[in-house]
Amino acid sequence: MKPSKKRLITVLSVFVIAASISFTVLAQDTGAVLAGAELTKVVPTSYYFQGQSAPTQMRNAAAARFGTNRFVIAGMVDTSGYSAQVRARYQGFFITDSAITIGGESLAIGAYGFGFTNDGKLNILDLAGNQVLSVATTNDKELKRPRPLMMAMDGAGVRFYAGRDYVVIAAK
Amino acid sequence: MRNFFRKSRLLFGLAPVLLSFSLLTAQTPSKKPETQQQGGVSTGAPATYTSRRTTGITDPNAPVLFEEVTTALANFHHRSGGAAKDYIFDTPSGGVAIFDYDGDGRPDIYLLNGSTLAALQGKEKPPRAALFHNLGNWKFEEVTDKAGVANERWGMGVAVGDYDNDGHPDMYVTNFGVSRLYHNNGNGTFTDVAEKLGVARRGWSTGASWGDYDGDGRLDLFVPGYVAIDLNKLPPSPSESSGQNFCQFRGVPVMCGPRGLPGEGDTLYHQKPDGTFEDVSVKAGVSDPQKYYGFSSAFVHVDDDKLLDLIVVNDSTPKQLYINKGNGTFEEIGYPSGIALNENGREQAGMGLAVGDYDNDGRVDFHITNFSDDSNVLYHNDGDTNFTDVTFQAGLGEVSIPFLGWGTSFVDYDNDGWLDLFVVNGHVYPQVDAHQWGTSYAQQALLFRNVNGKFERMGAPPGSALANAWPGRGLAVGDLDGDGRLDLVINNLDSTPVVLRNVAAATGHWLGLRLVGKAPRDAIGSVAFLTTGLTTGKLRQRQDVVSGAVYCSQNDMTLHFGLGAATKVDKLEIQWADGASEVFAVAGVDKVITITEGKGSRP
Repeated sequence: MKPSKKRLITVLSVFVIAASISFTVLAQDTGAVLAGAELTKVVPTSYYFQGQSAPTQMRNAAAARFGTNRFVIAGMVDTSGYSAQVRARYQGFFITDSAITIGGESLAIGAYGFGFTNDGKLNILDLAGNQVLSVATTNDKELKRPRPLMMAMDGAGVRFYAGRDYVVIAAK
Repeated sequence: MRNFFRKSRLLFGLAPVLLSFSLLTAQTPSKKPETQQQGGVSTGAPATYTSRRTTGITDPNAPVLFEEVTTALANFHHRSGGAAKDYIFDTPSGGVAIFDYDGDGRPDIYLLNGSTLAALQGKEKPPRAALFHNLGNWKFEEVTDKAGVANERWGMGVAVGDYDNDGHPDMYVTNFGVSRLYHNNGNGTFTDVAEKLGVARRGWSTGASWGDYDGDGRLDLFVPGYVAIDLNKLPPSPSESSGQNFCQFRGVPVMCGPRGLPGEGDTLYHQKPDGTFEDVSVKAGVSDPQKYYGFSSAFVHVDDDKLLDLIVVNDSTPKQLYINKGNGTFEEIGYPSGIALNENGREQAGMGLAVGDYDNDGRVDFHITNFSDDSNVLYHNDGDTNFTDVTFQAGLGEVSIPFLGWGTSFVDYDNDGWLDLFVVNGHVYPQVDAHQWGTSYAQQALLFRNVNGKFERMGAPPGSALANAWPGRGLAVGDLDGDGRLDLVINNLDSTPVVLRNVAAATGHWLGLRLVGKAPRDAIGSVAFLTTGLTTGKLRQRQDVVSGAVYCSQNDMTLHFGLGAATKVDKLEIQWADGASEVFAVAGVDKVITITEGKGSRP
């Protein structure tokens, strides 16, 4: 094989590999909702909030991946061990390992609690129960089979649902 | 429609604040939260009312539809735990069955009783279940001892099925403890064969159901499990609370559970050719590894493919719908079918289960009772294993919210050809009577009239039976006096039962069907389609032979069709449990007839 031809093949190979990596990254950057083993791998089985830990309701847990290894994870916990006051505000955990926007508001990396309210808000709480942010939710009347908690793709972002109410989460 | 969404929104906002297991200290129970979360189980929200909405609701202009004729059963007194209801097992007993155990043509009554911790420890005599033989003319004779069915365990439910195809109906009695299978010996006595045949389920068994899921002609048995309780390590009780370690309902100490307590899996027993049973729960895919809190179940044809499917109603967790794949296994489709949750994606605290085709479209629908501050739920079967929550559209939503429902059954009380609905209610926390929460411990039952698929609550005249409030649990339906009007029996917690005689004046014609199959002989899993009015307005009704459901109870398996003004049956089709279909000619109406498989003609 002539050197020039060999160089051409090498260049082409590098280009193909680079292109495929770029495509993969681009594809992953669009985000994905996790399911099955991928989901159980990232969801904690219990969660600390405001003085105690409670088991996760795995059936009501969801997670999304942004890029190759950036995750947003949420799950309802069994709040039966909490006081009525805590249960009125706290439904479960919300973890993000990258900066995101949630309902258009910025949220830094961290582990939080969350609670949807019947007046159309999602409250994000720190682990001491203090409100970090509060965003308005959207009601999705067309949703065919709502769940207590789930995530679904919405363009480049992810809809974070509780029943028919949702907010959009996007990577920053 | 706008009103519907407003109501839905109201319901959607109800928060989970009860059945809790609080371990926190230094709380301020009386402080009312400013907003309510939406997630979790829909089982109650703090609210203050100026009057109770579950008792004393009367209408002087309403007709008297039922009268109380309890005297014959008045010696029976149900008892379950102490009055304070310190533990969850004090609260959900017990069931009732209407069935003709001796084959004399008159349906009899079997009432489960509860028990006490002292009785379990041998420190006092245990409460006894009771079998009442129907003598006719509203006279009943207690034959419990003669029949040998006192149970004397912490009774929960009863499911009737002729498991050995000998023509005599047997009873599976579920207990908090060890369950029993009472084999009907055919001479007025029963023998507990549960241990011998391999169905002596331990733990906390609830609303069982018989059905031949694999088509071998022998009945199989499904038993839901509720909560795993260790009597040596009881959860905290409000009576023993030091004030810092208790479970709460609206800030008030109450018994703990089910949330926060471990659940139990479910059990499917397959009957082998030798008459013994084997546990095939895991193999069949119905073992409930999530350990949801099972309360009610029924084998029933959901997709009408001639294979019996299975529905399981769970407390505070999703409901399960198992579709029979025909190879000895089931596929659980609760979520995709729409059965698992209500229309807003909420898990509910399911209790009882009514099975019936309320809108006469040929498919079986489900009504399920729930906790107070949440509505009961009506699932319409859309076909192709899809269900829609139509509770509010059907008129069953708002009215049911203050009630804590238990037994529920479709019952055409006025014989107009449309299935009405009867619901038994009663709270689990005696503490509710000390507060203005809009609910009460004893609650009125609810009767809804079905008007072309929409339900209207029937009023209760002052002083009438339906104006009374009871701590209801089990419910059974049957024509106890043979007058063609369906009567009711309610088993009340810590109280005497109630027998309600149907005295509705304006009722239509009717037809009763006793089905005798080849195998299973009692025709469980068979479906009857009855058509009337071919010349005056066609009405095609469906009735299923179902074991169990209601709430830990058993309706008389005689199928009852209201015919309205029709004086003849145009067509009667039977789809037998073994898959065969036949058409039968029916001569006359206003009577009970026996239909035997193999004696009809091909459709």
